[in-house]
Amino acid sequence: MKKLIAIVLTLALMMTAVSALADIVIVQNKVEITSQMEDFAKLYEEKTGVPVKVITGGGSSDYNTVLKAEMQSGREPDIFVIEGPSSYELWKDKIADQTGAEWTQYTAAAYMVDGKAVGFPVAVEGYGLAYNKSILDKAGIDPATLTTYDAYAAAFEKLDSMKAELGLDMVVSMVAGTTTGMTWVTGLHNFNVYLTVGNERNDTTYIDQVLEGKVDEERFHQYCQYVALIFKYSDPDMLLNGTQDSQLAAFANGKAAFYHQGNWMDPSLVAMNPDFEIAYAPHAFLHEETDGILVNPPSWYVINENGNKDEALAYLNFLATSEEGADYMVNKAAMVPAFTNVTLAPSAPLSKSVMEWNAAGKTYDWQQYKLPDGFGMGTLGQIYELLASGGIDVDTFEVMMKDAIAGIAK
Amino acid sequence: MTSRQKRKLTEFLFLLPTLIAFLMVIIIPFIFGIYYSFTDWQGTGAVSQVVGFENYKAIFQEPGFLHSFLVTLLFTVLNIITVNVVAFLISLLVTSEIRGRNIYRAGFFVPNLIGGIVLGLVWQFIFSNILPSVGQSLGLPTLSKSLISNKDTVMITLVTVNTWQYAGYIMLIYVASIQGISKSVMEAAEVDGARYWTRVRKIQIPLMANAFTISLFLTLTNSFKMYDVNVALTNGGPVSIFMMKPVQASELLALNIYNTAFKYNNMAQGQAKAVIFFIVLTIFSVIQVTWNKSKEVEA
Repeated sequence: MKKLIAIVLTLALMMTAVSALADIVIVQNKVEITSQMEDFAKLYEEKTGVPVKVITGGGSSDYNTVLKAEMQSGREPDIFVIEGPSSYELWKDKIADQTGAEWTQYTAAAYMVDGKAVGFPVAVEGYGLAYNKSILDKAGIDPATLTTYDAYAAAFEKLDSMKAELGLDMVVSMVAGTTTGMTWVTGLHNFNVYLTVGNERNDTTYIDQVLEGKVDEERFHQYCQYVALIFKYSDPDMLLNGTQDSQLAAFANGKAAFYHQGNWMDPSLVAMNPDFEIAYAPHAFLHEETDGILVNPPSWYVINENGNKDEALAYLNFLATSEEGADYMVNKAAMVPAFTNVTLAPSAPLSKSVMEWNAAGKTYDWQQYKLPDGFGMGTLGQIYELLASGGIDVDTFEVMMKDAIAGIAK
Repeated sequence: MTSRQKRKLTEFLFLLPTLIAFLMVIIIPFIFGIYYSFTDWQGTGAVSQVVGFENYKAIFQEPGFLHSFLVTLLFTVLNIITVNVVAFLISLLVTSEIRGRNIYRAGFFVPNLIGGIVLGLVWQFIFSNILPSVGQSLGLPTLSKSLISNKDTVMITLVTVNTWQYAGYIMLIYVASIQGISKSVMEAAEVDGARYWTRVRKIQIPLMANAFTISLFLTLTNSFKMYDVNVALTNGGPVSIFMMKPVQASELLALNIYNTAFKYNNMAQGQAKAVIFFIVLTIFSVIQVTWNKSKEVEA
């Protein structure tokens, strides 16, 4: 009997040793789909016998810190996420070429470097100002008219005057707090509105200027007015102390007419069962008309040159080309897939809206990740919070922002 | 080999594992750290260039770092005072004849067993949700807004939470010291007609001088190196203006170093800040210990 137990134990030990050799470790940054991703990893293990471990860092904890720690842990991840040029530059020595992989024939959104496909688009994501259709209807505002600063100013004012009647606590659910770690909403996503709205995709005029320490005076002035407008019609307490959850709750419970977040919030939004129609309106900050939301793959999976390259690539191909992969991306994780072979349409409202804007070709690029590390979330985020807390007025805000941008070139 | 040499060798061999560990995790990284602070190392790959004192020069022109320095000094002073005063008072309480003193002892110590991150998040909820709603229902304007998002009150929240967490630990040191004072000395003073506070002031405090040395040293270094509660409670926020630039009102030095290295991905400059941090902390600690030692007496 004892012998039998010993044999079983030895076998079990050998099994774990063998599987440990073949496993895939993924370090990723989408906190909101952690459980869905882990479920998919389990499904993959059941189908192929290859265990997949998912390590998540992101949201208010810092993904790059988690990734660096994992890289230095001695067991480097096989698949990790890059968010754009600056993280590509940081890790390019470790990133494997995936040109010619099966998944590449189904997408135009791969991360390309010198004609080589190195990054698998995690999804396409978009953000604008999400609106509560039934509130806008009651106030007699047609969302299709929200294409200029002036249209927004009038709409916000009207909603603000009808707050009691509409049951609103605030017009826009917006967050800007450094304490709650929400400065990515302001310093990265909102700032990108200045960088790309109204431009052709891949037009880098404004980001190039910023990286040289300069801004387009007139455009930047209008942008600052737009930020001040959003903050004015938000709730001061929400701006400073709001978390991702409380920001969502205000909108999902019908306490705010607009919501400054992207479609990555869909899983949480759907879980709260909002009983009204939701779609995106554009971030139209100029006096001239602009009509489009900001859409891009937010991040790409890359394969570690030193990892289990073949296993990792097999996993990514499975994700892009199998029915299970499509089901996971669209139905489970409520993402908008970047792959043309996926025919499923998302049911979640924000993703659906992103898909519609995307199909209409009315999208603007994301260029915020070309900013130096920490600049958007840290340096700019602090100035946004000062404006939100009333510590400075909009003119000082403009001066301080320009001053901070001028500091990049030094 | 003589038996004496043999003995020395044995001693050395027994010491070796610890020495190796100490070398690997303290000494070598420390030397590397100093080296990196003179380079433009980015945290990945090799050093591309040695830049001399550039990182140090940049640090002293950075309002954020200077502000963190001042805020850390302020926090340290406030924290040393509150932690030690509170710890001393509760140690008097739990060594008195009060009923249930053992329960108090355990109770005061428990916060120390909770991790700083958990504690920070719990207190963040208290300061930004519970206190404001209490303040609003009582109609108190100062309480009805979050104390954390106000740059003038944020340090109070940090000191409060740290005192709550750390006073119980320091209390134990004082309790041990009070119990070490010979009963006969205290009784003799009582027979001579010394009142309670006179006995505390003239006998207990002087005889507890070595406990003060330890406690002040611990609170000094603990406050200076404060990181976990800082991250979880305030994350350095809110923002205030210092030298005409936006800075984080409650970003203590350790958090500033972390953010420089990881958020701004400026490893070498973060390392240079860490070197300065080390030098300053060493100077302060040596001054404090020397000063306290001079006050110690033998009973």
